[in-house]
Amino acid sequence: MGKRRTFSGGAHPDERKELAEHSAVRKLPAPKVIRVALCQHLGAPSTPLVAKGDRVTRGQEIGAQNGFISLPTHSPVGGTVLALEDAALPHRRSGPTIVIETSSEEGGAVFEPWPEYSSRSPQEVIERIRAAGVCGMGGASFPTHVKLSPPRDKKVDTLILNGAECEPYLTSDARLMVERTADVIDGMRILAHALGVGRVFAGVEANKPEAAAALEGAGAEVITLKVKYPQGAEKQLIKAVTGREVPVGGLPMDVGVVVQNVGTAAAAAEAVRDGMPCMRRIVTVSGGGIKAPGNFDACVGTSFADLVEAAGGYSGEVVRLLSGGPMMGIAQFTDAVPVTKGTSGIVALTSREARSLSEGPCIRCGKCVDACPMGLAPCLISEAAEHSGWKSADEAGALSCMACGTCTFVCPSSRFLVHYIKRAQEAIRASKRSREA
Amino acid sequence: MAEPRLFQLSMSPHVTSPLNTRRVMLDVVTALLPALAGAIWFFGFVDSLLPVLVSVVTAVAAEYFCLRIMKRPVNAALDGSAIVTGLLLAYNLPPGVPWWLPVIGSGFAIVVAKQAFGGLGHNMINPALLGRAFLMASFPVLMTSGWQAPFEWSAPESHFETSGIPVENLQAIPDADAISGATPLRVMKDSFTMERHRGNAVRAQLASEGTYLNLFLGRRGGCIGETSGLLLLLGAIYLVVRGVLELRLPLSYLGSVALFGWIIGGPGLLQGDPLFSVLAGGVILGGFFMVTDMVTTPVTPWGKILFGFLAGFITIVIRRWGGYPEGCSYSILIMNLATPLLDRFTRPRILGEVGKHA
Repeated sequence: MGKRRTFSGGAHPDERKELAEHSAVRKLPAPKVIRVALCQHLGAPSTPLVAKGDRVTRGQEIGAQNGFISLPTHSPVGGTVLALEDAALPHRRSGPTIVIETSSEEGGAVFEPWPEYSSRSPQEVIERIRAAGVCGMGGASFPTHVKLSPPRDKKVDTLILNGAECEPYLTSDARLMVERTADVIDGMRILAHALGVGRVFAGVEANKPEAAAALEGAGAEVITLKVKYPQGAEKQLIKAVTGREVPVGGLPMDVGVVVQNVGTAAAAAEAVRDGMPCMRRIVTVSGGGIKAPGNFDACVGTSFADLVEAAGGYSGEVVRLLSGGPMMGIAQFTDAVPVTKGTSGIVALTSREARSLSEGPCIRCGKCVDACPMGLAPCLISEAAEHSGWKSADEAGALSCMACGTCTFVCPSSRFLVHYIKRAQEAIRASKRSREA
Repeated sequence: MAEPRLFQLSMSPHVTSPLNTRRVMLDVVTALLPALAGAIWFFGFVDSLLPVLVSVVTAVAAEYFCLRIMKRPVNAALDGSAIVTGLLLAYNLPPGVPWWLPVIGSGFAIVVAKQAFGGLGHNMINPALLGRAFLMASFPVLMTSGWQAPFEWSAPESHFETSGIPVENLQAIPDADAISGATPLRVMKDSFTMERHRGNAVRAQLASEGTYLNLFLGRRGGCIGETSGLLLLLGAIYLVVRGVLELRLPLSYLGSVALFGWIIGGPGLLQGDPLFSVLAGGVILGGFFMVTDMVTTPVTPWGKILFGFLAGFITIVIRRWGGYPEGCSYSILIMNLATPLLDRFTRPRILGEVGKHA
């Protein structure tokens, strides 16, 4: 296998994958009442197509796409619409949702299945992926059809399937690659067909040998990556797999690469091959505060509380509940939020696991500088930001920060480095906007 | 239904590495203890341990009172950083100094060099070294004379020469009495102004294997904590194992001391002794415990390397041509002032950045 590929910088958080990595995915029946968000993807929320009291069938489009960077939303169950209301969501403060009372989970394949997808044109395939509401399943939830439609002047020659799953605790991608290898491989071929590229790699961290072997056995070219956070971040993954560097402020397509999560590939396979819209996903429920951590195949709209209950309930004193992993996941104030297409995991942390919320002064040790996977000096940017020195924060490269949290993780003074840098980013962007206006 | 559960909100990341400031400081304290044991072995309890204790207690007390006066959380006085400052200041004093000297030095280090600038993390200059510089300027005689010849407790009658030259080799030097009581670096410095034949004889002895061994073990005159390279290295290895010490600063500093010690540290160009340059004086203490002070040195990789390199150069320049036989502490103090500039001009390359924007 040779030297494991990676990027420079990064850190080694306690993986804690052992909690859930060997638990096979359990299919969770839809709860009695589900809440489907109309803004599960990045971009404009979809426009509701149903009203209170309407009957809906599984797979029915209940929210219409609203602009290019947007997606349609489908009902994951058959049932009755109870309400259209704004509610707390895991990835934003609140947003429009549709509450549905479940009566059946039958059917759902609302599109014509295309088992012979290669006879379809790339445009047809991309259109299907859009119509099925497929977005990035790794967490950012960017509409997939947009990523598959690079402008004409960007020549894409490489597709990288992202199976790094570098977030601690999370094992949903690992289980997917092992248990639904055929879906991932079909999806990979469908995405390659849509992009018209021949160079396709699957990047998997070395701590998932089972997953790597499964993909390799099914014919994928697997690149084994060093176990290091944030190995699954796009720019770091591209650097590790191809050696190419995405220019500052640029996109992967600027170096001819498109990165897709393995979950996205599986969703694309279901959409194109089976004619099934994107309505379910695998969610890891884990953390020291969960009785029986595991992986669940749940429909979107299932509440976090339902999933926690399926995992045996809370154990011990849970101080923080996260949507996603502990490095970039979003803290929730309540478990009454619904699973969305981007919910890779639900992590309940006890006070022993969770980072304390008090910070000390910067002792200028430089550990954040060594750890930053983007090559920034987080301590210097945050120092500037603390004194509202937006200009020097900008000069120090604040806008290149992707908020991966590695600096804050390694900081011996527990400084809120990401927080300060994000604050600087907002101020810098605001001042750039006002200068343009 | 029960009350809905509420959870804490906070920014990601939600986990942290086990390393914290307090652990860093306490690891440094632990790493400095072998050298303290050595000081007791070579100079006795009263002349070494007493000033060290006085210095540490003064540092912590001064920190406590400053924090009180400024209405800041006083438990920061126990974060370990004041202990490190107190230890390092005392390690830079000659053995047997009167008790009030470390009180003044340590108090100055904490109150003026550290707290007046805003406390931990905000001081520009290494507090222990600024305290030492203050004492050098105020009490030059106490600080630069009365060097004690070390002895070993196993054989108290066996005294060593302060110069580190093995006693049995002294007869090779004409008029050897004249150099007794001087530290190795003072002897080296004086050798440059001696009559040529005698200077060569002195330098030949300083560059002998017996002298190297004495210097490395600590059988020589010098400040309380600087004499034994071996024991300081033990501490440094401990810090590396604990993941606290990163080696860019110490290696570039000691490497630079050896390099320039060889190039310009001798009577003529390329006639210096690199090994002696590293073993004599305080550069091992300085290289592993003071050049590495995180607060006052650069955060960038190349900044660290440049800092060490330039400090090594200044050390040798002071040793060869300056007013003092040792230049370690002043070289670090001078470079401390250059730290913000070094940080600025050695910013690492951002991933995907093509060339540097001016």
